[in-house]
Amino acid sequence: MNARVDRARRLARRGLGAVRRVVRRASGRGYTRWRRSIQLRVVTSTLFISAIVVAILGVFLMQQVSSALMDGKVKAARLQLDEGLAQVQRDLGNTTSEDGVRLSNTVDRLKARSGPSGLYEVYIRDTTEPYFDGYATNELREESVPRRLRDELRQAPAGSRAYTYGKLSYIGPDRPSERGLIVGGRTGQFELYYLFPLDQEQRTLTNVGRSLAGVGVVLVLLLAAIASLVTRQVVIPVRLAAQGAQRLAAGRLEERMRVRGEDDLARLARSFNDMAANLQDKIGELEDLSQVQRQFVSDVSHELRTPLTTIRIAADMLYESRDTFHDPAVGRSAELLQSQLERFESLLADLLEISRHDAGAATLDAESLDMRDLVLRAVGDIQELAERKGSKVVLQLPGEPCMAEVDRRRVERIMRNLLVNAVEHGEGEDIVVSVAADRDAVAVAVRDHGVGLKPGEGQMVFDRFWRADPARARTTGGTGLGLSISREDAQLHGGWLQAWGEPGSGSQFRLSLPRVGGAELRGSPLPLVPPGAGDARPLFAELEAGE
Amino acid sequence: MNGRTRPALALAAIITVLTGCANVPSGGRVVTGKPAERAERVDDPYVRLIPVKPRPEWGPDQIVTGFLAASASFDDDHRVAREYLGRQKDWRPGLRPSVTVLQSRLAPPQVVKTSGGQATVRIIGDQIGTISTDGQYTAAAKPYDGTFQLARTPQGLWRITDLPGEDDSGLLLSKDDVERAMRTVNLYFFGPDRRTLVPNGIFLPVVNRQTLPTQLVHALLAGPTSWLNGAVESAFPSGTRLRNGAVTIDKDVATVDLTGQARGGSVERMSAQLSWTLRQLSEIKQWRLRIDGETVAPEGMDAVQPVNAWAGNAPDGPDPQIHQDAYVVGTAGFLGTLENSRAQPVVNGAAGRLSRPAVAPDYQELAGLSANGGQVLVAAPVTGTPAARAILTAHAGARFTAPSWSRDGTLWVVESKADESWLWLRQRGKAPVRAAHWGLGGREVLAFRVARDGVRVAVIVRMEGRAQVQIGRIAHAQDGSLDVGSFLPVNSELQDAIDLAWRDYGTLAVLGRARRDSQSLPYLMPVSGSGIMSLGVGALGEPRTIAAAPGAPVLIGTRLSGRDQVCRQRQAGNSFSEWICPTPARDPGYPR
Repeated sequence: MNARVDRARRLARRGLGAVRRVVRRASGRGYTRWRRSIQLRVVTSTLFISAIVVAILGVFLMQQVSSALMDGKVKAARLQLDEGLAQVQRDLGNTTSEDGVRLSNTVDRLKARSGPSGLYEVYIRDTTEPYFDGYATNELREESVPRRLRDELRQAPAGSRAYTYGKLSYIGPDRPSERGLIVGGRTGQFELYYLFPLDQEQRTLTNVGRSLAGVGVVLVLLLAAIASLVTRQVVIPVRLAAQGAQRLAAGRLEERMRVRGEDDLARLARSFNDMAANLQDKIGELEDLSQVQRQFVSDVSHELRTPLTTIRIAADMLYESRDTFHDPAVGRSAELLQSQLERFESLLADLLEISRHDAGAATLDAESLDMRDLVLRAVGDIQELAERKGSKVVLQLPGEPCMAEVDRRRVERIMRNLLVNAVEHGEGEDIVVSVAADRDAVAVAVRDHGVGLKPGEGQMVFDRFWRADPARARTTGGTGLGLSISREDAQLHGGWLQAWGEPGSGSQFRLSLPRVGGAELRGSPLPLVPPGAGDARPLFAELEAGE
Repeated sequence: MNGRTRPALALAAIITVLTGCANVPSGGRVVTGKPAERAERVDDPYVRLIPVKPRPEWGPDQIVTGFLAASASFDDDHRVAREYLGRQKDWRPGLRPSVTVLQSRLAPPQVVKTSGGQATVRIIGDQIGTISTDGQYTAAAKPYDGTFQLARTPQGLWRITDLPGEDDSGLLLSKDDVERAMRTVNLYFFGPDRRTLVPNGIFLPVVNRQTLPTQLVHALLAGPTSWLNGAVESAFPSGTRLRNGAVTIDKDVATVDLTGQARGGSVERMSAQLSWTLRQLSEIKQWRLRIDGETVAPEGMDAVQPVNAWAGNAPDGPDPQIHQDAYVVGTAGFLGTLENSRAQPVVNGAAGRLSRPAVAPDYQELAGLSANGGQVLVAAPVTGTPAARAILTAHAGARFTAPSWSRDGTLWVVESKADESWLWLRQRGKAPVRAAHWGLGGREVLAFRVARDGVRVAVIVRMEGRAQVQIGRIAHAQDGSLDVGSFLPVNSELQDAIDLAWRDYGTLAVLGRARRDSQSLPYLMPVSGSGIMSLGVGALGEPRTIAAAPGAPVLIGTRLSGRDQVCRQRQAGNSFSEWICPTPARDPGYPR
């Protein structure tokens, strides 16, 4: 028994829970739709507001109709009463209370228009007659005349009239009482009451009320439909504009809106189109301009090469014969010239490289290589520089080969750049180089423990000619373009080059490359933030190379 | 146009349209309706007296006055009136009470004797008649004298312990009370020809319009009143009652559900009786008959029958509305039909010169009186110059009333002296015989007309110096002998009457003098006893005879500036139309 109750309760609870879930889901969906759709919002608010207005209007109208009906009824009733009172006055003006026959005859005349026609009932009484309480027509009960009306009439001066609303009750087993208007007047010793049943009026009011309700509902629905239609007409172009703007934002500058008519929406479309055209022009101009600039840089680089070669030959000669100069200052100048010329050459080479990238002329010369070999060679190349700086390079290489299709020259250049940067900013601390691979990608991370990067610098390090500290002495001949070129190279592989850093904790650069050239990179086998470095919170999120 | 102004404009437009429609029409086509049947309906408005409960301070005489007033109120089965009675008194007049009708409200009751807790109160008045429990009114004028016994209750209140009269549940009402609280309604029973219905007027208290149909059917099932008992028959087998005790009405269709005994009766004849009885109520337009809960339909009719069916059983005969020409006696001495105000001769010779001629309903024979009214003559056929032969000759000093045919071809005539009268009847081909029982044997009878139903007769009889219109009935006594009697006065408004004719089954056309008239004038007199209506306006000279038939104009034979004229109304059917007398003739009469 108990178990069954429990089960029933559980079932009920479950059912209730399901219902609640459904309701919640539906309401959630509704809320989402409500937030997303202007049309729904406009229609709902129109429905709501117009329903309120129609309801107020309906109540007002009903009151008007009802009071008009009642006013008419009361007016007619009072006229009827006046006529009746005049008749009573005429017939019974100076009668004595014994003359009951004449009272009866008077009622006979007054009754003529009462009864089945349903117009009214009459009740007359002689206040001086002790043995009976007057006459009533048809089935009317004398209690239908409310006591308050009788009291009012008794206290009022002679000849006054009064009216009230009450319930008319009837003799007979199955005749229900009904609402009625009761007017009464007094003349001499006689009180005369006319009782008008209001069922006809009630029926009229009910009918009017029903019609009003129907009309109101139709009206509200009509308004909602109109609102829906109107908002549709407005919302559709707005949606089209939104889609157009989206496509425009996605770079499809040739996207245009269709212009129809001459209304506000057509103006919007035209403005949008103008804007898009303008934007396209400006972007085109800018592209042209940067093209010109790139061309200029490339040309300048090329043009500089020939004189530079000549200068180089001259400088080499000067350098080789520096010991022959008398003035040691001249010898030092020749050395300086030599070193600056080297710097100038590498700068020129970088400029040429980057202009090739900008011009889209850079191509990938991919071959399958073991990343470990590449890393080892690059580390070997900078070993001397590191030792000079007092840094030790720690290698963390996996046991198995990490094969990937890469352009050896470019990856070597990237590695060299990263390692040189690490040595340069490593403050003599250890430099950790780790390699990892998974099914799709290989990654190399270069970690230093130098000054690190300030927030925001992780992005800026890849900007051209950016320097962490402009005042910092430069021991190696960085051109300021190395990381930019490295990044371009990584992107050429379809890979990422990312930087992490924290002030005081050093920094880490991670190169991630797909194993197969041209494949899309989804993740990296190495974390960008080195394990155990600072707090777990990275200062900036992973930056996709493509952005 | 934005989304907000459009709905507002639509709303404004709709309101404008709506208010534009809400106008009282100021023109349009003419709507016609059927004329309301303005016959006196049983369920016309009525007036009820509102009784008061006995007051504690009232003495014995006041208690009696209050009781008499309260007994005129039938509300709630005389609940208020019963409060005047002592605890042990079981007094229930019910819906079919026996009533003693007094002329007017009584003189104040006199306390004859008071001793301790007992009192005797005496009331005196003029009784004018009684109504028996079957609703039959009988005129019986005599002084009334009754005593009430009263006793004090332990609370010190006076209450009535004994009522006057031997009938313990009778009511003592004034004429006004009866007129107010009771209605005359017709019950319909079959006449001796088993086809024509005969109305039987009864007094029924109007307690509640809703219960009227039930009361009517109850009364009908109870059979004819003592007045018509033996003269008519009912198609309902004895013992038939209403199932569930009430007639139910749904919209305007009434359902009469009878108990199983009704299976023994003819559905058609019962339907005819019920139809004619129920049609007096305006709210019932159709009805259906059930026996033991099972709907039965008369042959050839739907189960739901209109109340206006069964015209073939009409009290005025099956063809009351067909056109018939009146017969008049032209001044040139011939009996002719009246066509377009002109008399066309039909019978010439001696038979054409008879006084008060009456053509038989089958047009086979005509009867008339000799010039002095001392002989009854008949002639046949009703064309050419037939010989008139005397069938009856009056006693010395007596004369005959105008001959009257009943529908079965019987000729009726009353021979009357100043203090004596005899009724003669003659069936076709037989010799005239005297009726065995004649209720007005000791009176002078001025006119005698058999109604078209063949059961009721209307007479003008001289009583207490006044010529009164009375209604009697033709019955057959146990031994088969004819009994014409039970005459009742119809109306007391006419002072003097000269001649009468049946206009239809409910109305007599009477030449007579009302209270303020200086000369005799035509009146329509409802048989039910309600007020008379004068007929037509204008000079009529000295009217002498009157003829009437259903749907035909009322004709009056008059003497205008020394010449005999037959007058009719310019527009028949309009009771205020003026009289014109275009035909020089006398003694008009309708055969049917």
